[in-house]
Amino acid sequence: MSEKYMIQIKNLTKIFGDGVEIKALDGVDLNIEQGEFLAIVGPSGSGKSTLLNQIGILDSPTDGTILLDGVDITEMSDKQRSITRNKQLGFIFQYHHLLPDFNALENVMMPLLISGVKRSEARKTASKVLEEVGLGDRMKHRPNQLSGGQNQRVAIARALVNKPSIVIGDEPTGNLDSKSSDTIYELLRKLNREHKQTFILVTHDERMAAKTDRIIRLVDGKISEDSHNGD
Amino acid sequence: MFELDVATRHIKSRRRQTLFSIIAVSLAVGIIIIFMSMMSGYTSILIDSTTENQAHITVMPKEGEDYIHLYHGLENHIHDLEGVEGVSSYFQGEAALQYKHNAEGVLLYGINPEDENRVVNRDKYMLAGEFASIENPGSRIILGFKLAKNLDVGIGDSVTAQIPGAEPTDFTITGIFQTGTPLDETMAFVNLGRLQDLYGSGDVITGMGIRMFDAYAAEELANGIDRETGYDAVSWIEQNAEILTLMETSESMVFFIYIIIFSISGFGIANVLIMIVMEKVGEIGMLMAMGTSRRSIMLIFLLEAAILGMMGVVVGCILGYAASAAIASIIIPVPPEMYFGMDHLPIVIEFKNFISASVFAMVINIIAGVFPARRASKMDPVEAIYSV
Ligand SMILES: Nc1ncnc2c1ncn2[C@@H]1O[C@H](COP(=O)(O)OP(=O)(O)OP(=O)(O)O)[C@@H](O)[C@H]1O
Ligand SMILES: [Mg+2]
Repeated sequence: MSEKYMIQIKNLTKIFGDGVEIKALDGVDLNIEQGEFLAIVGPSGSGKSTLLNQIGILDSPTDGTILLDGVDITEMSDKQRSITRNKQLGFIFQYHHLLPDFNALENVMMPLLISGVKRSEARKTASKVLEEVGLGDRMKHRPNQLSGGQNQRVAIARALVNKPSIVIGDEPTGNLDSKSSDTIYELLRKLNREHKQTFILVTHDERMAAKTDRIIRLVDGKISEDSHNGD
Repeated sequence: MFELDVATRHIKSRRRQTLFSIIAVSLAVGIIIIFMSMMSGYTSILIDSTTENQAHITVMPKEGEDYIHLYHGLENHIHDLEGVEGVSSYFQGEAALQYKHNAEGVLLYGINPEDENRVVNRDKYMLAGEFASIENPGSRIILGFKLAKNLDVGIGDSVTAQIPGAEPTDFTITGIFQTGTPLDETMAFVNLGRLQDLYGSGDVITGMGIRMFDAYAAEELANGIDRETGYDAVSWIEQNAEILTLMETSESMVFFIYIIIFSISGFGIANVLIMIVMEKVGEIGMLMAMGTSRRSIMLIFLLEAAILGMMGVVVGCILGYAASAAIASIIIPVPPEMYFGMDHLPIVIEFKNFISASVFAMVINIIAGVFPARRASKMDPVEAIYSV
C-alpha cells in the first residue's frame, strides 16, 4: 500500500558539521498523500527548512530515504535531480527570488523554457497561470515595479507553471503584512483545491497553520506532533 | 536556449562594466591587428625587395674551383628547366677605381645587360644613362650612385680600374644606378667579355644568377641543380636564412606580447563576470531550484564571456582596420634609400590577421569566463537561495 503516498520519508537524518556536529534532522518518518495541504511548524532552528530542502532535492540527507512518487531521490544523479526539480517540484521561498532582469511573464515562463517547452507555448501557459494568480494586468512589469505581495504571487505562478505534483513553500508569506498574507494563503488554498497538488508550507504563523489540513510540529529535528485539523 | 536569454539580460543589466570590458577587448584586438599588419608589411617588403633585387638562385663553381668553365651549355640547360624565367652569367672580381686623387675598392661585375635584366631588373634602378650601354665589350662602366659620389665623378668621366696582375685600364662612365642598398657604394657593372679579357681568364665565369617565375620554387630547383650538375646552387631562401629565421623569432616574440595584451583584456572580462556571479548568487540558486542543470549554469556564464568577447572582437576589427588603413596612408618624410625606396610605412592589411586575432581573442576570453562560470555552477543551491 506504500504506493498511495506522494512522499514517503524514512529515518531522515541530516547532520551539519564543521567541527561541531549539528543534528538538524533526527530520524524523521513522514508520509504525505497526494493533494494534502500541510503546514510544518516549530521553533526557530528546529529543522523546518532543512526538511523542506531535503524534500525539494536541494540538499542530500546524511541518512534515511525519501521517495517522491515511489522514486528514491537519494539515489538520483545530479542531472536527474535537476529534471525532477523542474518537472515535479515547485518552490516558493520567503524572498521571491524572481529574476530581476525579466518581467513577470518571462519569470513565469522560465521553468517551462528550462524544461525545453517552445517559447510560444510557454508564453501561453505562463500568462494563463498569471491570470490565475490575479496578475493578468501586470505581465510586463519587472519585479522592481511590483509590490512585495505581487512579486510573491508571481513567484507562486512560477512554482505552479510546470504543473508540479508537489509545491513547497518556506515561509512564503514571511515578508508580507497580514492582509497580503491572507490573500496569498487563500490563493494557495484555492490552487490546491483546483489542481489537487500537494502543498507543504513552513510557517511561523499559527493562525495560518490552523487553516491547513495537517500540521507537523518539529522540535530539535524530530516530529513532536502530527495532527490533522478538523479531525 | 533560455541560457542565452539569461546571459544577454545579465549583460544588459550591467551596461557600464560591459562597456568597459568591450572597450578593453576591442583595444587589444585593434592594437594586435595593427601590429600584425605592420609585421606583414615589413615581411612582405623584405621578401619582395629580396626576391626583386637578388637572383633567386646563384650557381657557383664546384668546390675547390674558382670558375665555371664551359658555361654556355650549363646556361642553356638551366634556361630550359621548368619555372626558370631568366639566366645571367657573370664574372665577378675585386678592383680599385681611381679618379684623380680619389680611389675606392669595388666589386666589378661583368655581365651581359640583356641577360642580367632578365634576372634582376637593373634598368629600373638607373639614375642616369642606360644599363644597355655596356652591351658591347667596350671600356664602359656603370657605377652605384654613392660610389660615384665618393669618387666625385659623373656620366662621361673616365675612371681607372686597378686589377691585380693587369695593366690599369680606363673606363668611361655611361650609367649610374641607385638601389637603396649598400651595393650603391661598392658595385660596378662592365661588359662580361671585357672583364674576362682584363683578368685574362679566358671564357669562364664565376657565377650564374637565375630568376624563377615563382620565387618560392627556388629552393627545390637549387637542390635539383646542385644534385644534377655538381655546381653549388644556392637559393635566396638559403642565402637569407639568417634574416628569415630572425623574422620568425621576432614573430614568436611578438606572439608573447599578444598573449599578454589579450590576457589583460581577458582579465577585464573575468572581472565583469565575477561581479555578475557575486551579484546573482540568489538568482543562480533559484535557477537551480527551477531545474537548471549545473552545465546550463556554466553555459550561461560562458555565453556571457563569449558575447562580451564577440562584441569586443567586432569593434576591435573595425578599429584595427581603420587604424591600419590610416597609418598606411601617412607619408613619411624619409630619404627613399633608407627604407627600400618606401615613402610610407609598410602596412599590409591581411584577412588572415583579422581571423587569427579574433580567434585568439575569443579563446582567451572564453578561458577568462571559465573560472567565474565554474564558480557559479559549483554553488550549493541551498546556500545560494538562503544567502539573500
Ligand atoms: N548549512 C548549514 N550548516 C550548518 N548548520 C546548519 C546549516 N543549515 C542549517 N543548520 C542548522 O540546522 C538547524 C536547523 O536549521 P533550519 O534552517 O532547518 O531551521 P528552521 O527550523 O528552518 O529555522 P527558522 O525557523 O529560523 O528558519 C539549525 O540549528 C541550523 O543552525
Ligand atoms: Mg527556516
